[in-house]
Amino acid sequence: MTSLSRFARDAQRELILVLAILMICALFASQSEFFLTERNLTTVLRRSVDLAIIGAGMTLVIMSGGIDVSVGGILAVSAIFIGRAFEADLPAPIVVIIGVSVGTLLGLMNGAICAKAKVPPIIATLGSMYVFIAVLYLVIGGTWISGLPDTLSFLTRGDVAGIPVGVFIIAAVYGFCWILLHRQPWGRHLCAIGNDEGAARLVGIPVDRVKMQAYALLGLLAGLAAVLYVARLRNVEVNIGTNVALEAIAATILGGANIRGGVGSLIGTLLGVVFIKLMQNGLVLIGVSSLWEGVVIGGLLVVVLSIDALQSRYRYGRSL
Amino acid sequence: MMAWSTHDPTTKRLFFLFGLWLVVIVISSLLSPHFLQASTIPFLLQYVPIIGLLGIGQTLVILSGGPGIDLSVGAMLSLVGLAVGWLFTLGVDIYAACLLGILFGAMLGAVNGVLINWIGIPSLMATLATLFAYSGLALALTGGTPIGGLPDHFTWLGQGQIWLIPNHFLLVFVPVAIILHVVLTYMRVGRHIYAAGNDERAAHLIGIRVRRLRTGLYILSGVLAALAAIMNLSWFQAARPDAGIGMELLSITVAVLGGTYIFGGQGRIAGTVLAIMIVTTLQVGLQLANVSQAWQLGVIGVLLIGSVGINTLLGRQSLGQSLGRLMGQAK
Repeated sequence: MTSLSRFARDAQRELILVLAILMICALFASQSEFFLTERNLTTVLRRSVDLAIIGAGMTLVIMSGGIDVSVGGILAVSAIFIGRAFEADLPAPIVVIIGVSVGTLLGLMNGAICAKAKVPPIIATLGSMYVFIAVLYLVIGGTWISGLPDTLSFLTRGDVAGIPVGVFIIAAVYGFCWILLHRQPWGRHLCAIGNDEGAARLVGIPVDRVKMQAYALLGLLAGLAAVLYVARLRNVEVNIGTNVALEAIAATILGGANIRGGVGSLIGTLLGVVFIKLMQNGLVLIGVSSLWEGVVIGGLLVVVLSIDALQSRYRYGRSL
Repeated sequence: MMAWSTHDPTTKRLFFLFGLWLVVIVISSLLSPHFLQASTIPFLLQYVPIIGLLGIGQTLVILSGGPGIDLSVGAMLSLVGLAVGWLFTLGVDIYAACLLGILFGAMLGAVNGVLINWIGIPSLMATLATLFAYSGLALALTGGTPIGGLPDHFTWLGQGQIWLIPNHFLLVFVPVAIILHVVLTYMRVGRHIYAAGNDERAAHLIGIRVRRLRTGLYILSGVLAALAAIMNLSWFQAARPDAGIGMELLSITVAVLGGTYIFGGQGRIAGTVLAIMIVTTLQVGLQLANVSQAWQLGVIGVLLIGSVGINTLLGRQSLGQSLGRLMGQAK
């Protein structure tokens, strides 16, 4: 097998996604001359950063066989702490540290409920989502935390050498996760747990610890996303983070991760995020109401999941 | 499998739930002097049927294993409500529109059932996708505005009462709960549901058509969501595109709190009904005590996590071993 055809086989999903992205770009560009302008694409990029970094963490959690539907809540609660820290006139670095540590702690809590209390991840994170929303309402009620200072704006609006800062953030997050996953024993352990938790435990992998670390990392990234959110919008409102979890899961699945665990691709997830964000932007530009977003993402998920399921049935035969 | 003795964990569960309900009632009456009054009864029962039907549908879907779950119940409720309202504005008789709405609910449930059982998508992902699609459709088709202007005589179902008991509780929820309880406990189909949930391979080998059975239960979940939508419509006289938001979580909460084992094979309608009473009493109690809605959400979240933890404590050692099976056991 030549290296090229091996690449084509290993990166099949990523190649399909790239093709799909090119196709929707061509479609939108033919309908709206504004779509392929530099200004529009950088706007899309700057708005994708939150979802991209949460997607990286979601990929790791899904690869471990888990899921976290509460990331939107983690983002919201971290954002509250960030907003309050700003209001208390704390310096920006401290504010960032507070936001990220709150996220990490909440993620760790999710991980502990899943790994130690043996509550299935979907139940555990649904429950903690309720709790996080409750915290959000109790703290800020119907009002907004607004008029926050713009000391962090360079994170979302700034450029370094003509390249948006967001690109560097995404590169750093994905580089870090890639090294964890592919150059560290931790990544092997994570895949092993996702493939067969019992076997992983038997060969001596610290299953509970690795899982908790994966959830904590996702929480950390959600905290980071909260920092970027507050930096971008400079307010905290009640419906913050409502769609983030579903979009991040959708991007991860589009990117080729198996919801049953053990399989996933960081690059695929990133491409999935790009696809979703371009789709949302393009639909608005060609005059489709943004209310159709849910239908489009849902329909897309159904198609991709169906193809995946039919493919694996073709490969492994039917179970019943 | 279902011995009716106190040694049976599901019976123990019922006693536990009943005790919890009493505790909630005591706490609620301590919190508010208005709670222990006859006028609380219709107020409380008014909330029960809608979440009740969704919870019962969820219970049956989870019970039949797979592992099964239906995250789209709330979205189906919103979408069916809008469909009925829209049909009425087109000039269709309201009761004919309701019948068509029930058919529509069955169709939406059938989509879930086919995606999960015949195409083979894990239930969690399939219904997450349809949750997106259905609630998105509800929003997009109406542009976010509610459909109102339903006839006044249609309110008898959602607003009428017979001796302090709301009509939709007495005429829809109680019959549905009793019928499904009888079907589940005394009829062959019920045994098949437990068998499929306990060991789908064995169930398949003794000739139960597991996939058809489960598809049927997803359809039933859609039908129950449609009934809930109709009651909601009659109560509020308007179809809102966000009517069912968050109800999927609540329905899973009552099913699991009621003792339904999340991987299937164990659970009872009675447990779910008790759990619904607990959750509703809690909501009404906190509401009467003028406690913020946010606390209700928080308490429900803790209940959801805690109820699974209690399952582990009440002696089900297999939960630890089967962790991760929620995502599917076929590797």
